[in-house]
Amino acid sequence: MPRTTQGVPGWLTRGAVVAGVAALVAGTAACSSSGSGGSTKTKGVTITVALAADAPPKAALAAFTQQTGIKVKWVNIDWDSLQTKISAAATAKTYFADATDVDWSRVGQLGKLGWFYPMDKYLNTKSMTADLPQLASFTTGGKVIGIPYDASFMVTTVNTDMFAKAGITTMPTTLDEYTNDLKQVQAKGISKHPLNIPFTAAEGLSTYWYETTGALGGTILDQHGKPQFKDPSSPGYKAAEWMVNAMKTGLVPPGNINVSDSQGEQTLMAKGVVATTFSDYSGLVGSLYNVPSSSSVVNKVKYIPTPGATGTAANLSNPDGIGIPKQAKYPNAAAKFIEWFTSVQQQVDFSGANGAAKAWAAYALPSHLSAVQEMARKGNLVGGDQLSAMLAKSKPVFPGGAPAWYPQFSNSVYTHLHGAAVGSESVSQAINAIASTATGLAG
Amino acid sequence: MPRSAIDDATGAVPVASAPKRRRAGGNSRPRRRSRFETVLPYLLVAPLAAFIIGLALVPAGFTIVQSFFKVNPLDPPTRFTGFGNFTKLFNNDAVVGAFSNTAYYVVVGVALSTVLGIMFAMVLRRPFRGRSLLIAVLILPWALPGVVEGILWTGMFDTNNGLINSVMSTLHLMNGNAVLLGQNRLLTITLIELVQVWQITPLSALLILAALQVVPDELYEAAEIDGCGAWAAFWRITLPLARPGIAIAMVQATIATLNVFDQPYVLNGAATTGASVTEQTYFISFQNLDFGQGYALSLLITVVTLLISLVVVRVVYRRVDL
Repeated sequence: MPRTTQGVPGWLTRGAVVAGVAALVAGTAACSSSGSGGSTKTKGVTITVALAADAPPKAALAAFTQQTGIKVKWVNIDWDSLQTKISAAATAKTYFADATDVDWSRVGQLGKLGWFYPMDKYLNTKSMTADLPQLASFTTGGKVIGIPYDASFMVTTVNTDMFAKAGITTMPTTLDEYTNDLKQVQAKGISKHPLNIPFTAAEGLSTYWYETTGALGGTILDQHGKPQFKDPSSPGYKAAEWMVNAMKTGLVPPGNINVSDSQGEQTLMAKGVVATTFSDYSGLVGSLYNVPSSSSVVNKVKYIPTPGATGTAANLSNPDGIGIPKQAKYPNAAAKFIEWFTSVQQQVDFSGANGAAKAWAAYALPSHLSAVQEMARKGNLVGGDQLSAMLAKSKPVFPGGAPAWYPQFSNSVYTHLHGAAVGSESVSQAINAIASTATGLAG
Repeated sequence: MPRSAIDDATGAVPVASAPKRRRAGGNSRPRRRSRFETVLPYLLVAPLAAFIIGLALVPAGFTIVQSFFKVNPLDPPTRFTGFGNFTKLFNNDAVVGAFSNTAYYVVVGVALSTVLGIMFAMVLRRPFRGRSLLIAVLILPWALPGVVEGILWTGMFDTNNGLINSVMSTLHLMNGNAVLLGQNRLLTITLIELVQVWQITPLSALLILAALQVVPDELYEAAEIDGCGAWAAFWRITLPLARPGIAIAMVQATIATLNVFDQPYVLNGAATTGASVTEQTYFISFQNLDFGQGYALSLLITVVTLLISLVVVRVVYRRVDL
């Protein structure tokens, strides 16, 4: 007869199981190793470029190799993992790439930590300023730590077809007009919930609030990182109130409580479920809304100048940049790549203005103003005239640069704004909690 | 006692009575081990031992030590803080809330994956047509990365276009616009955990199935002759003999649920309604760059995992000799 037994062998087996568990769990802990100095070689070397995007066309990279003798190994890592990798590699002082992403929101943090080489060391960044309006977003402590390669800024997109059906032919120029138009679209039954706000607790919610605050003429933090939104009459407070009220009054679909920015673009705006997104991303009309395979609103969505407090407002930038981590093996070669990668000619090619073969599918909008203008002139950019005008006037989210503690602050922003939208806290409580986080972090 | 028995049992020969070495056969005693043969087992085990020591024990030791230090590149230098990291964690509402969410994930996840694992194992125990195919299909959710599952289920739970709402609406159970995730905390955590259960149950089922495969049919036949019904056979034969497999399945489910990250992060973002402790570890370590607190939180998760696993093994595990 089989039997179940307990005793020393069983204890030993259990011990082994528990030890195994310990090993499994402990295996997640971090490792560290020493870093290495970079080589100044720029010929016959292979550099690793890690970005959260598919590789550019092979022919383009091959042409770069032919010009410079530098081979490029492209690594595509999703954005979150890439940020983790940057932190882990820099902390452990290990090499993982020669050129990688510098996100605008981490510029303060990365600048303070000194994890990236100042680009001024390799490129004449001063001469770039006029044609790269978003370079300011990558400047911290007077040093440029990344070069914007893709101009991203927040814009208002409107399904003009749905607006027209509701009898709206003149686009709103103030937030009040915009809100009234939304109510009209809703009242006429054109869209049950016409406004897209991605209320899931993620970065997209924070940037939406920044853009709305900017549109109302305000700023989130001052030069010293002190919160500027605590007063109920401040633009930041009003922006939060407007967003949460839009949710509570049904202008925003109830399901948006758990919709991210990209989800909202793809499943609501591109499908004609909502009529507008107040803080959308530049370039989406051409890359998503006008693509028949992924959109049912082709040629119906337009960029409009962002409605503000008393008239149209400037757009806030959230560009992608590329820089050289301190553990790079070939920083000089990486700098040559960045110079080529962010050049006007290359950006025009990537945008598809010079033919599909040279186009880079992952590319939305050039960061060089002259490249955007050239594309607009050639008629290769949907909404090109509006976009180049908006890009020229775009402003950084934080005039003094993103603070070093930005990620922690943003986490507080999206967690509490989400909480206010869910109803687990009031707008006032959410704002106080966010302000308290900022005050605590600013010191 | 005959010499051969001593040799067989110990693998060694007592020095006092060791036979003198002879040139050739004519003696059935085993020859002395060469130095190489003595070292060989250690050589074979060495890579695995080095792997475990280097990738598990050393980092674990490092984590334990560093959890008592302030390690933050934004606030150098690294300095001793005693239990400072731990007290800060216990005063952090987000961390405390995440622990409460995770406790729910563990209770629901371990219980449900074990019950479902037993059920699947029972179904798959006997051979039938298409069994191999069914096992292959069963394994699929386990083989998929958590992020992919999160994205897949995001579409299913979507309020505007999701399958769940559509089905509920068709069955006239809801109006078709129910907000499933993010609004109600209990519902959110339950649904997120159901997605994880969908992922971890296949492994539980296979572990329990492996344990059941060694139970001889004669036992059931004998029990049937003694008048034992199917239900009694399950309780008195199947379940006791499956206990080693169930214990291992429960331990792996405990580890998985305590470390859940992908599903809540993809399905519900960083919202407090579903955030887990590993999400908080990620935020603290890689967003705030407060590695000291990150180490401390990792250590807490390790200790909790060990304690729960120990309890599960003590209560559920029984050695089975067939």
